[in-house]
Amino acid sequence: MSPRPRRTAPARTLLGLAGLLTLGGFVVAPARAAVDHCQKCHSEQDGKAGEAARKYAADIHARRGIPCSGCHGGDPNDPEPTGMDPGQGFRGVPARAEIVGLCVACHADAARMKRYNPRPYIFSVDEFRTSVHGRRQATDPKVATCISCHGVHDIRPHTDPASPVYAANVPATCAKCHNADYMKGYGIPTNQYSLYVRSVHGQALLEKGDLSAPACNDCHGNHGAAPPGVESISMVCATCHGREGELFAKSKMAEGMKHIPTARGCETCHGNHGVKHPTDAMLSTAAGVGACTGCHEPGSTADRATLFIASGLDTLKWKVAGAESLLAMAELKGMDASLGRERLRAARDQLIGLRAALHAFDGEQITSVLQTGFEHATAAREQGAGALRDWRVRRLGLAAALAVILVLIALLVGRIRALAVARSAPGPPGA
Amino acid sequence: MNGRLGGWLRGRLGLDVFTHLAEKKEVPVHKHSFWYYWGGMTLFLFGVQVGTGILLLLYYRASADEAYESVRFIMTQVHFGWLIRSIHSWSANLMVGAAMVHMFSVFLMKGYRAPREATWFSGMALLGLALAFGFSGYLLPWNQLAFFATKVGTDITGDLPLLGPFLKRFLLGGEQITGGTLTRFYGFHVAVLPAITTALLGLHLYLVQFHGMSVPPSVEAAGGPRRSLKFVPEFLLRDSVGWLAALGVLGLLAALFPWELGLKADPYVPAPPGIRPEWYFGWMFQTLRVLPAHVLGFEGEFLGIIAIGLAAAVWLLVPLLDDPLGRDRRARLWTAVGWLAIAYVVILTGLSYR
Repeated sequence: MSPRPRRTAPARTLLGLAGLLTLGGFVVAPARAAVDHCQKCHSEQDGKAGEAARKYAADIHARRGIPCSGCHGGDPNDPEPTGMDPGQGFRGVPARAEIVGLCVACHADAARMKRYNPRPYIFSVDEFRTSVHGRRQATDPKVATCISCHGVHDIRPHTDPASPVYAANVPATCAKCHNADYMKGYGIPTNQYSLYVRSVHGQALLEKGDLSAPACNDCHGNHGAAPPGVESISMVCATCHGREGELFAKSKMAEGMKHIPTARGCETCHGNHGVKHPTDAMLSTAAGVGACTGCHEPGSTADRATLFIASGLDTLKWKVAGAESLLAMAELKGMDASLGRERLRAARDQLIGLRAALHAFDGEQITSVLQTGFEHATAAREQGAGALRDWRVRRLGLAAALAVILVLIALLVGRIRALAVARSAPGPPGA
Repeated sequence: MNGRLGGWLRGRLGLDVFTHLAEKKEVPVHKHSFWYYWGGMTLFLFGVQVGTGILLLLYYRASADEAYESVRFIMTQVHFGWLIRSIHSWSANLMVGAAMVHMFSVFLMKGYRAPREATWFSGMALLGLALAFGFSGYLLPWNQLAFFATKVGTDITGDLPLLGPFLKRFLLGGEQITGGTLTRFYGFHVAVLPAITTALLGLHLYLVQFHGMSVPPSVEAAGGPRRSLKFVPEFLLRDSVGWLAALGVLGLLAALFPWELGLKADPYVPAPPGIRPEWYFGWMFQTLRVLPAHVLGFEGEFLGIIAIGLAAAVWLLVPLLDDPLGRDRRARLWTAVGWLAIAYVVILTGLSYR
């Protein structure tokens, strides 16, 4: 059975209460203490409290001078157990339901946050309410709260590689809850993490360490984490894949998908969590191989268009490879092929441009890119062939020139010998 | 020239003086006569440089934005442009090589002895000009290798004592290599240096003609009747064989190993590996490279520059230092110095390519 939330009213109540508590002064303002006696004493103890106190030394809050009492209440200046007197505002361990309100008390307060950072991130309660996590706060004891993602007592900035919300750690942090065991009974897929780690995004982020690659929060949001709606999937992808996104947004395909309930924008062809590096094989018309075959029947107009694009793409690749081979051969023979190289680069740009232009689903645009690519590739090929032709002509010219030079040298040597003979010959009698 | 036109020209241009010179000029024949051809060979290659240089001028554009592109245009679009540019580059190297062979052969045959001191001085100045031609021309294609090699060269110039910083600024037209440096080098290469070279070459040829060909001391000492060749036509015909062979070699080099253009100069990228000056500066470059950073409290490079400068000065003044007859112990010492210098230049040049 799926424990569906009773919509958002209880969450609103909770958050509203948190706001009132904050305004009413129930949440103790973090006070700087010369010596945080709470941490000092508890650090020397065994058990959970001792462990928490020792961990807290590395916590961003401790490093900013916020004592334990910032969350737990009490008087950090009092070295005696009386500092934990409820009369001193001591609250002990906050209940799970209190945690969001506790964090919000500071993190949604721009004036307070600016004490620590001139350009602070201000937590938005409204944004949090848009998330599934936010909506289920009051009703679901298993739902994530702030500490589920950020940790507790050793909270670190998201830029710290040791933080669970550091970009490369986010997928594993989400997977702590979004797995088959924890999500049992919720009726939602739990294979996102295993798909993601094998995806092009996952490999870039987790294997290559490319922090610009998206983690879960880049598509779903963080404090407002929710599955993107069908309408916004393409916009989510377009935040990084701008050119493709722009072309797709204006395409007939995007318009048509609005009327197909099962269509999900970019995800329809590329998938979501397991998105792979797109290859030209996606244009295959073979059933189960090509991306289009999932929706379009063999022999349909779309199928024929796919065939046209795929053959155009193959032709351009073939032309580029042919020109590359000729230019490389010319360069190997010492010929200058730089002009051909420029045209080849332009042809390759068109090849890349074609792969982007596909997202316009517009025959004219695609044909135009293909034609331009063909022109550049053909010109590059001609440059390569011309350089090789020149190379042969140069050799013939060299042979002819050397032959002429040798003949001239032979004539000169003959003349020199004739002069030498004339010089050594005895003069005429009586001379 | 014996017809009416010939007579007319002789009367007005005084051609009889040249005819007389040509008829009188003779070249001694002995076992070292082979080395007499190297002056003519250098002159021939200089002629090739002038001819091909003028043709390159028709298309070359001396600005940082256009120089590289114009040379590439010459190499790829102009009919036989590749041949002209490759011959110009190869011939420049062969000309410096021929000039060095000429200089060392004159040194070892002691052709600088009185009364030919001025011939030696003018020849040395011409060699210096050939090196200046090479240095200024190297930058003109505005490619990566030339850019950074010029930087190395001008940095070394800047380390010269006293005048170094001024000379460096004068060469660069500022503190860095810029488009201004390119136009400056272009001006040196096609106007300043050719003008000085024309005057000095005229003086050098006049002095060779005036003093006649020098004979090595060993041949002088042997005594006896001396054989000789008429310069026109016998020696000139032999010269022509050498020139034709040089032309063939140039064609061969240009066709088989066309001079590369490389990548366009970009001051903002790191220097490519293997930066070195042209081979004829290699021995100096290597000398500076092997010196330790500091010697006796002085910078090694500074001392190296001073040492090279002093050695060049002594080499230049050898006509005043050697025995005028070229036969005593002093003469043998200078011959040994000559062989040592050749060995040093050859070995260090080879090492600079390691």
